[in-house]
Amino acid sequence: MSALQPLAKLVAALLREDDRRCLLGEDVRSGGMLGLSRVAAEDDQLRARLLGSPLTGAGLIAHTGGLALAGLRPIVLLPSAAALLEGLPALRELGRLGWRSGDQHGVPALFVAPDGPGFGIGGDAAESAEPTLTAIPGVQVWCAGRSEDLCGYLRSAAEFPSADQPSGPRVLLLPRSVIVRDLMTNVDLDAGLSRAPTAVLREGDRATVFAWGSALAPALAAADACAKQSGIQVNVVELGCLAPLDEGLLVKLANATGKLVIAHAGPRRGGVGAELAALLADHSILHLDAPIIRVTGEADLLAGHEEHLASPTAAAIAAAITKVVHY
Amino acid sequence: MQATPWEPEGVESLLDSNGALVDPSAISGIDLRGYYKKLVAARVLDVKLRRLELPMWASAAGEEAVSVAIGDTLGADDWVFVGNRDAAIGLVRGVPLSELAAELLRLPSAPSRGRTLPGSISSAAHKIMGASEALGLSLGLAAGHAHGHALFGRGRATVVVFGEGLTTTGMFHESISMAMAHDTPLVFVCKSQIWPEGAPPEAGLLGDSVAERARAAGMWSRRCDGADPLGVRRSIAAAVHRAHEGAGPSLVEVVVTPITRDPPAERDPIERMRRLLDGRGEWTQTFQDVTEAEINGQLDRAFDEAVDGGRA
Repeated sequence: MSALQPLAKLVAALLREDDRRCLLGEDVRSGGMLGLSRVAAEDDQLRARLLGSPLTGAGLIAHTGGLALAGLRPIVLLPSAAALLEGLPALRELGRLGWRSGDQHGVPALFVAPDGPGFGIGGDAAESAEPTLTAIPGVQVWCAGRSEDLCGYLRSAAEFPSADQPSGPRVLLLPRSVIVRDLMTNVDLDAGLSRAPTAVLREGDRATVFAWGSALAPALAAADACAKQSGIQVNVVELGCLAPLDEGLLVKLANATGKLVIAHAGPRRGGVGAELAALLADHSILHLDAPIIRVTGEADLLAGHEEHLASPTAAAIAAAITKVVHY
Repeated sequence: MQATPWEPEGVESLLDSNGALVDPSAISGIDLRGYYKKLVAARVLDVKLRRLELPMWASAAGEEAVSVAIGDTLGADDWVFVGNRDAAIGLVRGVPLSELAAELLRLPSAPSRGRTLPGSISSAAHKIMGASEALGLSLGLAAGHAHGHALFGRGRATVVVFGEGLTTTGMFHESISMAMAHDTPLVFVCKSQIWPEGAPPEAGLLGDSVAERARAAGMWSRRCDGADPLGVRRSIAAAVHRAHEGAGPSLVEVVVTPITRDPPAERDPIERMRRLLDGRGEWTQTFQDVTEAEINGQLDRAFDEAVDGGRA
């Protein structure tokens, strides 16, 4: 069983718990492209809040903003993070809407989108959208990492502060390689994340590995392999909140070991990894004992059969760990 | 037949160019002198703003019929998404004048803390949403907002005001599509500029009538003449009524005449309304002078107060 089934149950539960929540997206009334609204669609009580939408780019995102302004808590199930890039002007507007109004309004809307490689179809569907999305002022970007955390991420991401604390829109990226993976554990649908999205998942003192999305599982596997084969214990930090970055925490974690590896899917240039490396170069330079190594995808545009190049392998991450530790 | 190139085609009219009512029964219940004073106030505000020489400000002289009709016909629970030439809606909707002034001067003391776009206003208390920065985005936001109203139950409307320049954007068509798909209580109010010498390519006109385009999409629409304040009021009131009744989205196109381009006098909505009042013996030069002096004085005080308050 993949994580999609518990996620679909959770989507229905979220709608039942708060009648301000509604679902948008193409075909949400018949389950949606990934089946995430399938359980909700079978519940007659919820159907009025499944808002099947015509195919529009920025229109759907703007519409979502309007629903949020009217007091709803819309959840948008997108077929791909690329849909957010197609609707970029609208997402930018939603990000700045609260600010422009002098905080008279909030936009408590959640966009849920598969991201990065994993479906084997290449093109847009292998692309990691976070470099563009994280550059938009006022938009929070979360990215789930492990399959057992997907439901916790969704539940926590769907929680917004009360209306008297206006909040901006939030994007939850679900790495495609993670949502298609078999889920081996039972998931508690009532539980949100028991920690902040950005947190230490594995402790060690020889190096710090920052990883997110589809690179998180390989990073954890690389850390296991280094421990088993060479006795090297490293910190693995899941960067679950890509925007805004918890800069104080990240600097503290970098300073603790002074040897840093950053692992993520997608191209090396101009992305969150580059921003993180620059941040740590700025603030942790006196603590660094080795150059910061970034282990990333290998190309911008990939065909389906090349998707394995879009995300770093555990072996590549392990090699980077060994390199910084022995620098 | 067109009398002059300044006469728009295909418009419904209630008040003709001489200030005569085509259908006298259509104005029952309207305080004509009160309505005229609102139109004059809108013009005086425009003149005041022109004198302030605010950056990126554009005159709305000639568009008063739209602002006053929206401000006058919307209910207390209705919302309006404005552009950057709709400050008079705030005036009619009862935004305190010093607050309105602070918004227009974009002072840190304003409700939007000086962050609104030039010429726009924002007031959550008076249910006015400020202009959006990206092209046409307020149309999509308004469609979603109206949809939200409908999900909470019948009886509330959302109005979005924009210029015909936006009707070539994808967002215009996407918003029509979303509004129709969800049968939202949304009123699009499109201000179409008249082009007596023919439209330039930049106007991007597709055919001559935005109302016809909306109708082709299956939407209830009306095209009326911005020089006819009572006709504009009738069309917008009908559209808002439909929205309140749950009858779905609509579009009212108002052909507006930019007064800055020196059109014939009867193209000025205020002059046309004045002719009506004059014909009924309800207008005198003294009434005019007192009305203008009153609003001028109030606005001068409000702008002074806003500036002083901003300094404090």
